[in-house]
Amino acid sequence: MRNTKLNIVLAGQTDVGKSVIFNYLTGLHQHIGKWSGQTLERAEGTLYYQGYTMDVLNLPGISSLTNYSAEEIISRKYIAEQKPDFIINVVDATRLEKSLLFTLQLLEMARPTIIGLNMFDLSEKRGLEINLSKLEKILGTPVVPTIATQGKGLTKTLDRGIELLKEKKTLKPLNYGAEVETRLERLTADLKNIKSPYAPRWLAIKLLERDKEVEKIIKRGNPVLLKEAENLCQELEEIHGHDSSIIIAGERCLLVAQIIAKVLKTSESKKISFNEKIDKITCHKIWGYPTMAAVLGIVFFAIFKFGNFISAFLARIYSGWPAAWENFFGHSAWSALSWSAIESALALLDLALPFIIPFYIFLFLLESSGYLARVSFLMDNLMHKMGIHGKACIPLITGLTCNVPACLSCRMMETEREKFITGFLTTLIPCSAKTIVVFGLVGKFVGLGWVLALYLFILFLVLFLGKLTSKTLPGEAVELIMEMPDYKIPKIKTILLQTWFGLKDFIFIAAPLVIILGVIIKAVSLAGWLPLITSWLSPIVVGWLGLPAICGILLIFGVLRKELILVMLAGLLGTTNFAQILTPVQMIVLALVSLLYFPCVATLAVFWREFGWKKTTAVVALELFLAILLGGLAYRILGLFM
Amino acid sequence: MNKPLFLSKIKEGEEVEIVTINAGAQTTKRLADLGLTSGTKIKVLRKAISGPLEIRIRGSRLALGRGLANKITVKRYLVCATPN
Repeated sequence: MRNTKLNIVLAGQTDVGKSVIFNYLTGLHQHIGKWSGQTLERAEGTLYYQGYTMDVLNLPGISSLTNYSAEEIISRKYIAEQKPDFIINVVDATRLEKSLLFTLQLLEMARPTIIGLNMFDLSEKRGLEINLSKLEKILGTPVVPTIATQGKGLTKTLDRGIELLKEKKTLKPLNYGAEVETRLERLTADLKNIKSPYAPRWLAIKLLERDKEVEKIIKRGNPVLLKEAENLCQELEEIHGHDSSIIIAGERCLLVAQIIAKVLKTSESKKISFNEKIDKITCHKIWGYPTMAAVLGIVFFAIFKFGNFISAFLARIYSGWPAAWENFFGHSAWSALSWSAIESALALLDLALPFIIPFYIFLFLLESSGYLARVSFLMDNLMHKMGIHGKACIPLITGLTCNVPACLSCRMMETEREKFITGFLTTLIPCSAKTIVVFGLVGKFVGLGWVLALYLFILFLVLFLGKLTSKTLPGEAVELIMEMPDYKIPKIKTILLQTWFGLKDFIFIAAPLVIILGVIIKAVSLAGWLPLITSWLSPIVVGWLGLPAICGILLIFGVLRKELILVMLAGLLGTTNFAQILTPVQMIVLALVSLLYFPCVATLAVFWREFGWKKTTAVVALELFLAILLGGLAYRILGLFM
Repeated sequence: MNKPLFLSKIKEGEEVEIVTINAGAQTTKRLADLGLTSGTKIKVLRKAISGPLEIRIRGSRLALGRGLANKITVKRYLVCATPN
């Protein structure tokens, strides 16, 4: 009986079209989960083809299989332990040389592998001529040209995979230079008896690279081998004069360069010059910045305009609902509580539809067109001043609309350290809800100059805190190392799918906590405890911050959604003329505290999931402390001359 | 011995060969995985003001932070070496 259930893995570097292929193969039959013990996303899907049920796992996009990042360790562990029936290695045909560096590492793992030579049409257009049969012969594994965005070549890839399974051919390893190869073979022979899911030759290579994870495995199995590997490493280092891990990487580079010389012919093309032409403006020393400001300005203006329009439209639809609910279910605590749950869910929708969806669409549009990489390039210098690098500007800019997708997009940072610093800073960015509070209070009643002053202050604070955290957190600071992708025309289908998955993330992570907290706060207010809490908070709110006592309640509700601070204030006063109750200084202090004191509960939920409760608590405590400290200082200092 | 020539000092449009990379172990390894090892020939395409450099390497383009470029030494291979 033949086995009809297959386990397939998609592996490849970032930005080679892996996700496009994954989406094409599995459509909406996807399951996005988590890697155990990790915050990384794990995307799986099912596909029915030729009588087979294929479980497809999309490994995270990585640049190598060393142990540089968590993604890389997960990927190689999965390949070794789960022994997928075959691996589809997605390769960017337009950057064959670079992609093959990864392919060599994948082939070292000695699992059946098909090479999907993606963006084949583009490579032809650019005058790159790849000799497929020669490449197939050298690598000893099938090579299939694909055009993922049109779904071309994908079934053929699967066909070749199934063929490969039936043949049961063992993969012939690619040989490296003689000095390395002889030592590898010696070590491989000795490693044959080690019990490990990994292939012996792979273990040998990793030992010569001084891979800490692999050294641990060997130490458990046969510590003597570790000694032998160390001797071999030192021999190599004596010959070459640098670190043996670099020697191995160098061997791969050399091998790839030899392969490229045999299979690739390049003729001068127009496409590259087209890219260069655009880059002459977008990455220009001077003009790059106004271009960036214009592009991002237009995007934000469009999102805000559209968002406010839809938001007002939705508010009109909902406006009659609370009364209708009370009419139907009567006036009781139960009815009020259940309404507050619905209200929280609606509020989430009110954020998602007008702001998050258009924002994601624009973000993915800019990303897949290749422009975001240019923004990172231009912003690297400024980001560096806060101890992080250019890529971090994307989450930070995202934060201006909503901190939730901003927090989620921190996943693009390479190390946990950069991810956390960026995530922490995004929670301080004034999102659209905080902007509503600042403009509604300070902008309307004190003056736009003060709004600007507040924003400049926040910018300064973000710079300062970024520098401070990157100085205090342990670990090697990572410099910008980023591929500059070519400009591409974005594919609408892919963008919509990405938007859908982003939205799903947002709703599923944020919804439970938002609804629970909404109900709790409603229950507290129904129980009549709000005055009690007001009096508890009054030493801080009244005594230190110099605000009216009711602001304590506002700030509690503001945790749910920041704009509630303004909405509740109007509700409690029965008027929107806040000047009747708040002095200009109080308005500035309230706006400042609102900007800093607490991430809203949706952000909190995402932050928690991405970084764990310890870091979340630390960040919240720090921000609360800062808000109170700076608010009180602002009250005293501004009071002197206002 | 000549003074070491750092990648960060290379002008736009110049082609050089990497000599050494003195970054942290992790970064050096990551660069090597991306194909940036000593002996690799690269071309500096663009430099942002006191910001990152864009280089062409092995058929793809890579942006490197300025601080990192300060840790990479290179040599010019188009210019003939002056006899001692």
